[in-house]
Amino acid sequence: MRNEYIPFISEITEVIKHTDIEYTFRMTYEGDVRPGQFFEVSLPKYGEAPISVSGIGDGTVDLTIRKVGHVTGEIFENYVGDKLFLRGPYGNGFDVDDYKGKEILVVAGGTGLSPVRGVVDYFATHQSEAKSLTLIAGFKSPNDILFFEDIARWKQHAQVILTVDCAEGDTDCHIGLVTQFIPDIKIENMDEAVAVVVGPPIMMRFSVMGLLDLGLKEENIWISQERKMCCGIGKCGHCKIGESYVCIDGPVYRYPEGKLLID
Amino acid sequence: MDINTKKLKKNAFRVTKQRGYTASRVRIPGGHLKAELLPQLQEIAETYGNGTLHITSRQGFEIPGIPYEKMQEVNEKLQPIIEATDINQPERDKGYSASGTRNITACVGARVCPYGCYDTTAFAQKIEKEIFPHDLHFKVALTGCPNDCAKVRMHDFGIMGMTEPQLDPSRCVDCGACVKYCRTKSVDALKTVNNKPVRDTEKCIGCGECVINCPTRAWTRSKEKYYRLVLMGRTGKRNPRLAEDFIKWVDEKSIIQIIKNTYPFVTEYIAKDAPGGKEHIGYIIDRTGFEEYKKWALKDVELSPKAEVNQRLYWKGPKYHTYG
Amino acid sequence: MGYTLSKEQFETLVNRLSEQYQVFAPVKFVGGNTFTDVDVIRYDQVKNPEEIVLDQKSDYSFKEVLLPLSETLFYYTEEQTKEADIPRGEAVVFLRSCEMHAVKVLDDIYLNNKFEDYYYKRLRDKIKFIVIACPESFDSCFCVDMGTNKPEGQDMIIEQQGDQFLVVNENPQWEAYFEGYAKVDQAPSYAKENKVKVHIPENLNPNIAKSSIWEEYDTRCIACGRCNFVCPTCTCFTMQDILYSDNGKAGERRRVQASCMVDGFTDVAGGGSYRKKFGERMRFKMMHKVYDFRKRFGYNMCVGCGRCDDVCPEYISFSANINKLEEGMKEVGEEHA
Repeated sequence: MRNEYIPFISEITEVIKHTDIEYTFRMTYEGDVRPGQFFEVSLPKYGEAPISVSGIGDGTVDLTIRKVGHVTGEIFENYVGDKLFLRGPYGNGFDVDDYKGKEILVVAGGTGLSPVRGVVDYFATHQSEAKSLTLIAGFKSPNDILFFEDIARWKQHAQVILTVDCAEGDTDCHIGLVTQFIPDIKIENMDEAVAVVVGPPIMMRFSVMGLLDLGLKEENIWISQERKMCCGIGKCGHCKIGESYVCIDGPVYRYPEGKLLID
Repeated sequence: MDINTKKLKKNAFRVTKQRGYTASRVRIPGGHLKAELLPQLQEIAETYGNGTLHITSRQGFEIPGIPYEKMQEVNEKLQPIIEATDINQPERDKGYSASGTRNITACVGARVCPYGCYDTTAFAQKIEKEIFPHDLHFKVALTGCPNDCAKVRMHDFGIMGMTEPQLDPSRCVDCGACVKYCRTKSVDALKTVNNKPVRDTEKCIGCGECVINCPTRAWTRSKEKYYRLVLMGRTGKRNPRLAEDFIKWVDEKSIIQIIKNTYPFVTEYIAKDAPGGKEHIGYIIDRTGFEEYKKWALKDVELSPKAEVNQRLYWKGPKYHTYG
Repeated sequence: MGYTLSKEQFETLVNRLSEQYQVFAPVKFVGGNTFTDVDVIRYDQVKNPEEIVLDQKSDYSFKEVLLPLSETLFYYTEEQTKEADIPRGEAVVFLRSCEMHAVKVLDDIYLNNKFEDYYYKRLRDKIKFIVIACPESFDSCFCVDMGTNKPEGQDMIIEQQGDQFLVVNENPQWEAYFEGYAKVDQAPSYAKENKVKVHIPENLNPNIAKSSIWEEYDTRCIACGRCNFVCPTCTCFTMQDILYSDNGKAGERRRVQASCMVDGFTDVAGGGSYRKKFGERMRFKMMHKVYDFRKRFGYNMCVGCGRCDDVCPEYISFSANINKLEEGMKEVGEEHA
């Protein structure tokens, strides 16, 4: 039988710096992978951390890593050509088929933009496959904005609301929480419109409340959960919420299911 | 009334404020007794005394209000108590035969207390058998762990229980409890290296907090029981002071030998004019110097390689009067 | 059908098993418990049949034989990994009926929860089970109400009856051990009643999180995790990387048992954590044991062995907590908010 715990070697082909502490590492990977899935990324010196897939290329995956904790800190000392141990991909991820032909609203907070970046990118690239695409992305400050170039590109094909919690220097983005922009979103068909919400727990809770107030249906809202995951394969127990294991049943949940899960 | 107060004191009675009446002092070595002895004390107090008992600060009972002429009768009544407490006695029915060396006190220790590192009462009784009866003024106290609830640092010989924590790394899951409790409740002698606790053996005081708080039995107690022996603490008028550490990780046998070795030392050096033939050992050592005492104390003592001996001891405490 | 063996014959049986298997059983570790001069009973490889503790419940469960407290998964260098050797060979483990039921729980998590666990499986494939029958329940057990008092799936049952042993063999490969022994028509005993009774309310649901029954544990519980470490069904673990060299280029990855009661269990990279209050952790553990697992696998995870009660330094009783659930559900109602 397969030993899921033994990692494989992946090479860093490109490093994209977003902020002082957030980088995207483009890693070699051959195989099926979906946005919203994650890899267990390890460095022998420190151990493993679950990192969600922020982009999928030809023979590569993008892993956007925030320099927090000692695990992810070490990775920043690795550069192009260096190698990392990976396991995965794990988790269910997003299925873009769920959103095709619909009005799509994506609400992301901070690094929560990583797991949905693939979804946004897909529909921004394949504009004919969605009725409309709206992204509300919130960051702490202008210095924390991720995927700045992507956002600039998406703006040509989607409605993008970029907001920061507090103003620091010149910026053309809004100031405030993502939730305050939700009531102004124009939706034509409330029964069909879909929303994806990813971010810190409180941000997700209030965003979903806003979307429900707006008139979206519970079953048309998806959320993605971040939990501690040591194994990625439903064994270690750290990510369990209620009867669900985030690593194998999630991290993406339809809201009617996700709302029943209590930490 | 004609009473030899010198003899009376040796016999564990005392001259009290009330003319014509004495008080009998009953010792409980190690402070733990069978409850069945209490009715016997009650009977003595009610028959010969004033019906009250004082629990002494050295874990004994003082029975006040006894007419001097009843001392022999009281001694006969004390006989079963003296036997039940296994006290060395040269002559039956004559009560206690000396009162210089004081009752050996002990906290409740490992018989009851979760922190206790050994059976304090049993060790106290063992020392009792070795050194009693004796006229010289020795105070020995035992406490189960470095919390020192028995305040052994105010004694000539203070014995504190220690355990040497043993780590089975294969049972450690790095929950962090030992490191946390050592830091917050003890001396911060543990740190985590490569996901396992590492013990600073110099810092460690053998309190056992790591063992007590380990949820997996990765930390266990050493089979051997160890002690910290502290010396020459005292209360009193001239220069009260806390005892200083003499030997860390010392064994039971060596402690007994050191205490026994101190008797000939005191006999040799005690002030010839000491009032009542009693002098705190510490004052004697102040005169002879610690080096001289150490020579006597460690004679024929075979310390284990683990024992850490302090070669020089310096005591503090306020000096209200310098002896001599 | 079973065999009646003398004590000597029983020891011969264990010795013969030892020739083919590593025999694990509850063993007394003198002075090995928390407090001075207190023994602990936990699992170890048996060198002598007399070491096996048959008359007391072990403080720590059999699970350590299948899920070592600390287990090396692989060794690594900069670009290579090498799987760790299996820590033992074919094994026999002595355990009790409740623990036999716990094997099923471990199997469901480690073999049937979407992925098969390589390291569990390789130990699981090399193990046989001998149930120590419990004619009488121990004080804290509640196996009867959890339905785990009758053993299932074992290879053998033994029951000490005074100087003799009733042995019921259920493994055809072991029949040879009994050649020449007289058969008796006797079934092994099992505990039919416990002092401790528990009732899990039928209407239990996650709403219970809102109940005030958890509040007392915020201050009573000290989050030490003993309840998890002794539990035969707790299976959580944490990964560790151990460095062999200062430059960190060689080392090993281990997994060690983890506790959902201990700080850090839910910490995520960004500094967030869930269930900061100890009462919330109690609720999480409780719901896993008597609700969540059942929703996933169809039966309750808790096997009613009572070890968590026996070990808790703060005298928190899990069974007493179970019996508060009904009041808790009355308090919050069944409707999801």
